Amino acid sequence: MTTLIFPLSRIEGHARVVIEVHGGEVISAHLKATEFRGFEHFVKGIPAEQMPIIVPRICSICSTAHHVASIKALEEIYGVSIPPLARQLRELLLLGQIIQNQASSLFIFTMPDRLGVPSILQAAGDDVPKEARAGIGLRALQVRKAGTDLITLAGGQFIHPIKAVVGGVTSGISIEEAEAMHAKLENTLPTACELFDYYWEMSLELRDRIGTWGDDEPAHYLTAIGDHLPNYCGDVIHVMYPDGITRVDFPARRFMDYLDFTETEYSYAGYTSFQGQVIRANSLARINMTSRMGTPCSDEYLDRFDEAFGRPAHGILLFDLCRGIELVYSLERAMDILTESLDHEDTHVPYKPRDGEGFGLVEAPRGPLIHRYLIKNGLVAEAKFIIPTTHNLLAIERALRVAAERYISADQVNMELERAVGRVVRAFDPCIACATH
Amino acid sequence: MPLVISAYDVPEVDVLLVSGGVLTEEDLHNLRRAVRRAEQVVAVGTCAISGGVASLGDRPEIREIFLAEDERLHVPKLLPKCRSIDAVVEVDRYLPGCPPTPELFMAVLRISSDFKPSKTVCQECNRRKVKDMRPTQLLGFQQGEVKPDICLINQGFLCVGTSTRGGCRALCTIPGYPCVGCRGPSDAFIEKGSEAWLETIHRVFANMTDIPFEELDAALRSPQLALFLFQFSDYAGTSRPPRQKEKLL
Repeated sequence: MTTLIFPLSRIEGHARVVIEVHGGEVISAHLKATEFRGFEHFVKGIPAEQMPIIVPRICSICSTAHHVASIKALEEIYGVSIPPLARQLRELLLLGQIIQNQASSLFIFTMPDRLGVPSILQAAGDDVPKEARAGIGLRALQVRKAGTDLITLAGGQFIHPIKAVVGGVTSGISIEEAEAMHAKLENTLPTACELFDYYWEMSLELRDRIGTWGDDEPAHYLTAIGDHLPNYCGDVIHVMYPDGITRVDFPARRFMDYLDFTETEYSYAGYTSFQGQVIRANSLARINMTSRMGTPCSDEYLDRFDEAFGRPAHGILLFDLCRGIELVYSLERAMDILTESLDHEDTHVPYKPRDGEGFGLVEAPRGPLIHRYLIKNGLVAEAKFIIPTTHNLLAIERALRVAAERYISADQVNMELERAVGRVVRAFDPCIACATH
Repeated sequence: MPLVISAYDVPEVDVLLVSGGVLTEEDLHNLRRAVRRAEQVVAVGTCAISGGVASLGDRPEIREIFLAEDERLHVPKLLPKCRSIDAVVEVDRYLPGCPPTPELFMAVLRISSDFKPSKTVCQECNRRKVKDMRPTQLLGFQQGEVKPDICLINQGFLCVGTSTRGGCRALCTIPGYPCVGCRGPSDAFIEKGSEAWLETIHRVFANMTDIPFEELDAALRSPQLALFLFQFSDYAGTSRPPRQKEKLL
């Protein structure tokens, strides 16, 4: 038997792919997470109020999602109902998270796969396309920065925001600040669209070169956003069956009735399944389950997507295109919210801490994120983090197997497999730091 | 592995920024290899400096449970204890903060040279200390109404900005969130043990509030504050010398 090991760069965190082959037959294809910190163990005994400060440290890139999920879990326990301003600001925070994340995934992590360059920041020299030399790296960073600036405005700082608190937010956004941010996003939108158009074009070229959009077998799709004007701060989880028609909805506190969580012996990350079957979360799941985005440019892209691929769509490289639609939507949606009144004084409501069990749900860039806390005597007795990346691990491994079978035969391994492995994993944009936590 | 380039190893570089503590055998191996190819090594953030959140797992009863986690096949083994990077390799500069702000990153890379941090977070905060507000009870980090413009300690919040290293522009305390000390102690305390800082914070609260000593002491020793505030104190009671404050930004 032969074991092929593929270290991975251009992903969040540390992992590698291991494929076992015997006589040309693929025996197994695994994604191995190689880091572990033990958050669920060491937060035991910590005062409940410290959770929104400690748990964003699971991951600096996803800290906004953890921060809001943690606060929502405590608010469920304390029976808090937040004022409208807090809803607006939390939505802005999560939109900023989508903007920065999708810009990173598209233009920094996966664009090099389209252009055949090692890095978007090194895309120089005669052997790369003309467009790649025209400052893609800089423009990509500008788009990403619009997202981080939005989080900074709504959350105080980009990594580990502090302005969302149990009961609401510490402060609103002044009219001047909102106008300045609106102008910044307005400037960013055309750049984001240009880069995305180019990305789309390069993706079609990639498809022509390799002859596939990757694993396109139907799966269960999982998301916590609604049907229209996706709100990443939702309260209900939705599942779409592989037939594309049947759906079930359930609140976060019932996730264990629907989702099975399994530890693995070969990786520090476990995986979730829907009654033992493969599920997919992240951008493709959301786009498959959203009828209209509700903003002008993003709906144009959605129409273009429908025309080209129909929905539900299943090819894994389409995850990347869906990220672009969400990037455009989030810029537009954030601009809409910034024109609303965000400087009123009704920032938060009083509350009284108490013991109990609470579930905090947000739709993070990679899918539904749930924090479940059991609080006794004001201290954390149990904590469970259901991480979006783990929803996709079975789907990643299925797609890896499809790629492996495509490029491995009895007498040879086609070296395109190395590139395919990178494309498959990056299509799901896993965050290993979160997945293992 | 590198985040923005396709590479399976760290190339030769002028400056190596290391974030995160040394947790596994593989971290140790990668770190040792990488520093050999770097002109200068900068420890970035609490985790690289002291192990950070992962070192919360160093409590013996927790450590035991989670060392059992690595009974898996072909994953990097966890080290017996999470370590700071300077326990393993020579560090030229320290950039504390969880996270350090973009301005601090620019300053440590010397992209902008006009950076002048204040000594403490307190000096960068625009809140007023008042004489006639002496709380008798600790409100913790975020329980209760935050009044604008008035010092958070006067309002009974557990703010440690008085001895925390400046340079962050007081981005937490100005909007009303108490300083948790993520930049570690100011130069005045960096070479003293954790007990010296604890005493100072106690003195500040005794001067400004009527909060009972025991109540404050328990809160200051809570895992989260201990994590950030005492990130440079791991030499206290051990043979390791304190880090030189000249190496800190």
